[in-house]
Amino acid sequence: MNKKIIRWIIWILLLGGTLGGISIFSLCLGSAGIPVKDIIPLIFEGRGTTEYSILFDIRLPRILLGLAIGGALSLAGVILQGMFRNPLVEPYTLGISGGAALGVCLNIVLGLNSRGGILSIPVSGFLGAVMVILLVYSLSMRKGILKIQGLLLTGVMISFISSSLIMFIMAVSRTEDLHGIVFWIMGSLEEPNWFLIKAALLVSLLGMGIAYLFCWDLNALSLGEEDALHLGINTERTKRLLFVLASVLTGCSVSVAGIIGFVGLVVPHFGRMLAGGDHRILLVTAYLAGGAFLVLCDTLARTIISPLELPVGVITGIVGGSLFVYALTKRQVALGGK
Amino acid sequence: MNKDPIIWVILKAILFFGFCGLSLWFSSKIVDRFNEKIEPFAYPQRIISLGPALTEQLYLLGVEDRLVGCTVYCKKPKEAESKEKVGTIIEVNLEKVVDLKPDLVLATSLTDPKAKEKLKDLGIKVACFPQAKNFSQMCDHFLGLGRLVGKDKEAKKITNSAKDKVAAIKEKVKNLPKPEVFIQIGAKPLFAATGRSFINDFIEFAGGINMAKEAKEGIYSREEVLKKDPEVIIIVTMGIVGEKEKEIWQSYQTLKAVKKGRIYIVDSYQFCSPTPVSFVEALEEMAGLLHPELYPHQTQ
Repeated sequence: MNKKIIRWIIWILLLGGTLGGISIFSLCLGSAGIPVKDIIPLIFEGRGTTEYSILFDIRLPRILLGLAIGGALSLAGVILQGMFRNPLVEPYTLGISGGAALGVCLNIVLGLNSRGGILSIPVSGFLGAVMVILLVYSLSMRKGILKIQGLLLTGVMISFISSSLIMFIMAVSRTEDLHGIVFWIMGSLEEPNWFLIKAALLVSLLGMGIAYLFCWDLNALSLGEEDALHLGINTERTKRLLFVLASVLTGCSVSVAGIIGFVGLVVPHFGRMLAGGDHRILLVTAYLAGGAFLVLCDTLARTIISPLELPVGVITGIVGGSLFVYALTKRQVALGGK
Repeated sequence: MNKDPIIWVILKAILFFGFCGLSLWFSSKIVDRFNEKIEPFAYPQRIISLGPALTEQLYLLGVEDRLVGCTVYCKKPKEAESKEKVGTIIEVNLEKVVDLKPDLVLATSLTDPKAKEKLKDLGIKVACFPQAKNFSQMCDHFLGLGRLVGKDKEAKKITNSAKDKVAAIKEKVKNLPKPEVFIQIGAKPLFAATGRSFINDFIEFAGGINMAKEAKEGIYSREEVLKKDPEVIIIVTMGIVGEKEKEIWQSYQTLKAVKKGRIYIVDSYQFCSPTPVSFVEALEEMAGLLHPELYPHQTQ
């Protein structure tokens, strides 16, 4: 047992170090070409210069948002995969992102954002996500029991319906609205509003804390509902709370940064490969790895074809997918394996 | 319907706060309106343009030496290609922009709204020129840009001469028969220029009737085109797509435009992001297409 704890601590330190390293690397890298040796003096006496502004007003917010969103999405991925005992579930499978995207599309097409200012887009996205959560939840309740398989299917169907509705809206919208919609759907960590960045960080850290209270329950649930029930877990209550927690984490991430795919699907699997499928450690490793992964991808997206920027979802898909396929061929990924 | 009190309370709270948030910006937005004043005295010396048409207009106004950055699509005039590039029309590389220390950024309605917001937060003046809906709006925008960079006189001169030329062309075609025209600005889905786009002005000034003027949306059905049977079909697009579309139209032997061989392809760059000067050139071309008898030297 003690050996295990020591191994876990080593993993946490390793991943924490990686995360810190990637963040610093990301802060130093960019198209403005600030030499690395100038960065230290800049931090202490550079106030008011352009370079200082680039570091702390442009790069730093992106890094922080990357940590928050990457962590939140991976966490939601771990929770849902554990709950559904299905390795292919990711936060977006439940239709939450579709609902958020639909909310944002309606907002843009109805012209609310021109009146409502910069915050109206995230809020409409979040409301859209909440609507879908309510809908999926109420459709999957049967006689007071949350039907897990039904939940998944309903979510997937609602995803499809939402994306068809978005297609419809795009077909009848004006050119300039179309661009707004496409922008948002592509997903990006560019966010001018500090309040939103802080909110995203807060939600993702809180989510981490709450999820950790359920690490035992998740371990039990990944054995199967029957077994969990025999182990004395109140499965119904746990399932509901976990579902809402994962949904809120996803809803917040999507409403701030748009749809960034693949993070919530791949990172939990890497977490399992690294430190095993015990949720006591998996929640932490996935959170740290998710943050590191997204910040790294965003840095690549900013710098690969500078001065042009790629959408970060492109990089998460390519990098995450290739790494994952490579890892799969190297070794079998056991889901929830010990 | 089983209710789990905890869940419902959480969700209701979320909804409630969401609506509170909504009502908050509606109130905060009203204050912003008063802060957007343009100071006419400090003319910007380092300008970044985020739209090809805006870049072109800066060259027309003769302030190209103050242009420090533009998008990769700013290829007209030729000299613009050598300027520092700060991204595409929709994606802006903020680091690059801030690094160039501009005192004015010219944005379009296609520019990422978040990027605009961010630049304003960093204390850079951002002026947004949305897509013009007709010729007179285009001239107004041009005059506005002229005022912004301190080139009032030049802007007035250019727009007045453009307006005179347009009036001359209108005069020329006034008494000629007006052909029905269908202008296609996109394929798959078939997209028509409606009365809301300035391409409508091209048709009307050049003495034609825009078949799709009353359409609410740009998406148009081919059946409708066959039924209305326009005399001229103009495809605004570039390269291969245009040729393909032309072939598709030619497979409908019953169309008047096919029988008379009046299906034309025009360059989208000139027709879709015009300045007052290139508007006149494009209008000349359009008039030549609709009334070949006026411009016998133009060959297709």
